Amino acid sequence: MSAHHPRVLVIDDEAQIHRFLRAALEAAGFEPLRADTGAEGLREIARAAPDAVVLDLGLPDMDGRQVLIKAREFYHEPIIILSARDRETEKIDALDNGANDYVEKPFGVGELLARLRAALRQRLHAGEPPPPIVKSGTLTIDFPRRLVTKGDELVHLSPKEYDLLAKLAQNAGKVMQHRDLLISIWGPAHVEDTQYLRVFIGQLRQKIEGDPSEPQVIMTEPGIGYRFVTDDMFRILPQA
Amino acid sequence: MTTTDEPRRPDPEALLAAANKARRGRLKVFLGMAPGVGKTYEMLRTARRRKAEGDDVVIGVVESHGRRETEALLRGLEVLPRKPIEYKARTLMEFDIDGALARRPKLLIVDEYAHSNAPGSRHPKRWQDVEELLGAGIDIWTTLNVQHLESLVDVVLRITGVRQRETVPDSALSRADDIELVDITPDELRARLADGKVYVPETARLAADNFFKPENLTALRELALRRMAQTVDDQLIATMREKGVEGPWAAGERIVVLVGGDAMASALVRTARRLSDMMMDAPWTVAHVERPNQKPPSPAAQGRLSEALKLAEQLGGSTVVLTGDDVVASVMAYARRNNVTQIVIGKSRDSRLRELLGRTLATALLRQARGAAVHVVTERGVDDGKAPLVDMPPFSLAGWRGHAGALVLVAVTGAIAGLLDQFATGANLAMIFLLSVLGAGLAFGLWPAVTAAAAAALAYNFFFLEPRLSFVIGHPTDVLTFAVFFVVAMTTGWLTGRVRDQSLRTSARASAIAALLASSRRLSGSATRDDTAHALADQISAAGNAKAIVLLPQGEEIVPVAGAPVLEDLGAAAMAAARWAWEKGEAAGSGTGTLPQTSWTFWPLQGVRNRVGVAGVEANMLRPGSDEEKLVLALLDQGAVALERADLALAAVEAETLRRSDRFRAALLNSISHDLRTPLSTVLGSTTTMIEYGEGMPPATRADLLQSVREEAERLNRYVGNLLDMTRLEGGGLNIREDWIDVRDVLMGAAERVSRRLGKRHIERDFPPDLPPVRLDPNLLEQAVVNILENAIAYSPDDTAIDLAAYEDRNNVVISIEDEGKGIPTAELERVFEKFRRMEEPTDRTKGAGLGLSISKGFIEAMGGRIAAASPIHGDHGTRVLISLPKSPQRPEITP
Repeated sequence: MSAHHPRVLVIDDEAQIHRFLRAALEAAGFEPLRADTGAEGLREIARAAPDAVVLDLGLPDMDGRQVLIKAREFYHEPIIILSARDRETEKIDALDNGANDYVEKPFGVGELLARLRAALRQRLHAGEPPPPIVKSGTLTIDFPRRLVTKGDELVHLSPKEYDLLAKLAQNAGKVMQHRDLLISIWGPAHVEDTQYLRVFIGQLRQKIEGDPSEPQVIMTEPGIGYRFVTDDMFRILPQA
Repeated sequence: MTTTDEPRRPDPEALLAAANKARRGRLKVFLGMAPGVGKTYEMLRTARRRKAEGDDVVIGVVESHGRRETEALLRGLEVLPRKPIEYKARTLMEFDIDGALARRPKLLIVDEYAHSNAPGSRHPKRWQDVEELLGAGIDIWTTLNVQHLESLVDVVLRITGVRQRETVPDSALSRADDIELVDITPDELRARLADGKVYVPETARLAADNFFKPENLTALRELALRRMAQTVDDQLIATMREKGVEGPWAAGERIVVLVGGDAMASALVRTARRLSDMMMDAPWTVAHVERPNQKPPSPAAQGRLSEALKLAEQLGGSTVVLTGDDVVASVMAYARRNNVTQIVIGKSRDSRLRELLGRTLATALLRQARGAAVHVVTERGVDDGKAPLVDMPPFSLAGWRGHAGALVLVAVTGAIAGLLDQFATGANLAMIFLLSVLGAGLAFGLWPAVTAAAAAALAYNFFFLEPRLSFVIGHPTDVLTFAVFFVVAMTTGWLTGRVRDQSLRTSARASAIAALLASSRRLSGSATRDDTAHALADQISAAGNAKAIVLLPQGEEIVPVAGAPVLEDLGAAAMAAARWAWEKGEAAGSGTGTLPQTSWTFWPLQGVRNRVGVAGVEANMLRPGSDEEKLVLALLDQGAVALERADLALAAVEAETLRRSDRFRAALLNSISHDLRTPLSTVLGSTTTMIEYGEGMPPATRADLLQSVREEAERLNRYVGNLLDMTRLEGGGLNIREDWIDVRDVLMGAAERVSRRLGKRHIERDFPPDLPPVRLDPNLLEQAVVNILENAIAYSPDDTAIDLAAYEDRNNVVISIEDEGKGIPTAELERVFEKFRRMEEPTDRTKGAGLGLSISKGFIEAMGGRIAAASPIHGDHGTRVLISLPKSPQRPEITP
């Protein structure tokens, strides 16, 4: 298929999930493919080489984790995981094993498609130099000049705050795990010191968010990490 | 004594708590050969030095006997106040063990290790006090004269002619960490005695002169020196062992001492212990040979034997009972098997005839004992009562009924003989008399048989030997006849009487064994701790013919749980003894070394792994060493094992319950996580798809998404309904509203409810035209059937039929639901009705949480019906679920 219609393979054992995902993916301009079991999913990945995969971790025939690990041996396109909210370790494990992102069940279809688009775009721009300027709402980050502005005002950041924001913004749309952030900003010795992150993210939000109690730029992924959300990304408001 | 019992009693709980916590204290014994060598003086001198060095030294008890040097040494040392103990209108000032435990010094001086406490004290002997204090972590110094050692009692008796009454078991000295010998020469001691420096009570002046003879002192000194040398050896060996030195100390001497029920038994045991001492503590065993074909030993002999065996254990030896008719062969077999090098036997007096013939035990052993030394100990110095030459039931006229019966028998046979007088000769008549002797022997036992024999002989002589009606015997041949008759009658009576007595004894033993067997059956048949405890109490009470009680731990305490004949309240004193037995794992109470003033004796129930409780018997009923006591002890062992098993079973059940409820909780969480979230995902996903992209969607797709939302909402509703049903079933909130119903109506309603979910499957209905009404709750039945139908749909492929049938079967109306799915493995059949049981990979995962079938089962059973599954039913596949509902006995009244 042409690049206009990226093909997305959905691996899920629930017929009902396929039912609405097919409708949603088609309506959003993707070409949906279907697999009901892990084995079938792996066969489809190998055969059809889809542009992205949506993988449910709870499969009847094999552990979704195993499907992920096997797929990553030969498949390098984005894989988005469907997982329950209370399974943080499962999500972290999936990310460590090469999943690009995850969506918690039950999910709105917009959220899934936003993650899918973000992953596809990152894949598309992989290898290219990162964009020199990233925007989110009124916030602008100018990497070459190390300048952060909110509207017309310059935002004053400490070096660590800037490093943290830059790290998140350069991976905009993608969830950044606590561990990865801690290692890249503070070094391997501080891999357990998540309290650093709480403090610095709090300070960052005070400086860059319109309403720090309802963040729109740096989103918390409970138990996993943080995500920088840009304008062109589908913004998901917290579910009521 | 009993009146002063209570106030004197310390607080045993506090004692025990203190005793168990601390490390064990160190014991140092100042050993001397005789009074007056200066043990106490030496001990106090050393103690003062320790005190000066800053140690916490306290005098528990020291007898100065008014000697000024000793009293001078006591000055400046803390002395515990004595405790007054009333005994026979006198006040004895005794050592206060509770005061010592409360004071808890580092080092406590307790003079005179061998002292006997006043009756009513906690322990009868001071060495037992010391033992408790050591257990509480207090270091003890004490003094001891060598003559007070248990194993030396006989030797000392031989040397000095004085039998020591105050003795200390050898083990109490072996426990000493240090022994210091306080030694002066006999001459010096005698000089001190002459100067009045040795305390001797006025009343014992004469005995003392005898005791302090130079030759006695020399012998005692040798004993003390040897004991000291031995301790040094022991310490050397211990050091070598610690350092891993392989040495000649493992020379492998082994001693066996053979004892019987004679008066020498205890002396032999002491001899063996001394021999063992001389051979660097060679292991020694006291052996007794039981001869199955010999008459059992008399109670007296039995008592002496068990006394000896007990003594052996006190002195640190082991005991063994061998079985065999040939004593020599049995002993030699044992000796060879166990590499015995020394055999000790006693030379007892009933072997004098054998001695003349050269056939004594000693000579027989010597002939066969290759490589082993045989020690023959003579009985001099044994002051025990003389053993009777032959053991037999004591003669008594108390059993006059037996003797009277014997005489009646003789009279009857005499009458018969009179009737037969004309037809029979004298010898034949004599045979008839013999019948009476046999009869008396069998009926009444040995002594009545002897009576009968004498009477028969006399009657025969009087009535039938010429001249008749006189005891004169006319013919010389008749003298022979009479003599032979008398001997034969006596022998017959003797033998038959003994056979009878023996068989009685055998049956008594058999009944004891039977009691044991019965109790072991009852104990092993008891499922719970309490049952076992009750069974044990009953058995002990029956076996010991006494009151019995069983106490089991409950938390930190032990509490009485079972008693026989009834559970009585134990007094505080008895409870203290019971607690002691529980905490210390040793017998306590009457007849033991601890709290002997109570009327109960308590034994710990020692299982294979743990102490499981305490059993008590109202003790004055049980003779030590008696068959009853042995039976009770055997029962205790059995009971302990049974109780331990009951405990283990309980623990296993608890663990299993816990495991199950854990599994259940995990299954419930998993179910809620999956079965609530999956339909919610679809609902949320479908509606957001409509919201985001609904505008441009073809109407068919929109309708499909809406349909999907509805289906999932229904699925959620079913699941929530199931959870509620389950909760009502489990919580007892199930409200059954019975009514007369036609099962066919309910089945059609159920089929209707699942019709939308059938897909490409269809339901075959097979109802008879006539079906009796049943009385039950139609809603519950419908839900039960719906759940089974949904299950059938979930597990069967498209284009198959689900058969729904009902029919009458004797007293039941049966509902049958069959599908053509792949069936249930036989192993799973039993469990399909369990909660959260779900087969892998159903073709339709919208089925549910695995609650449906368990709810069906719960509902059906709540209405008095039964439910079962069978599979496979079509060759290798298919499942059939049968619901059986009882028809009501009376039909509903039908009013036209």
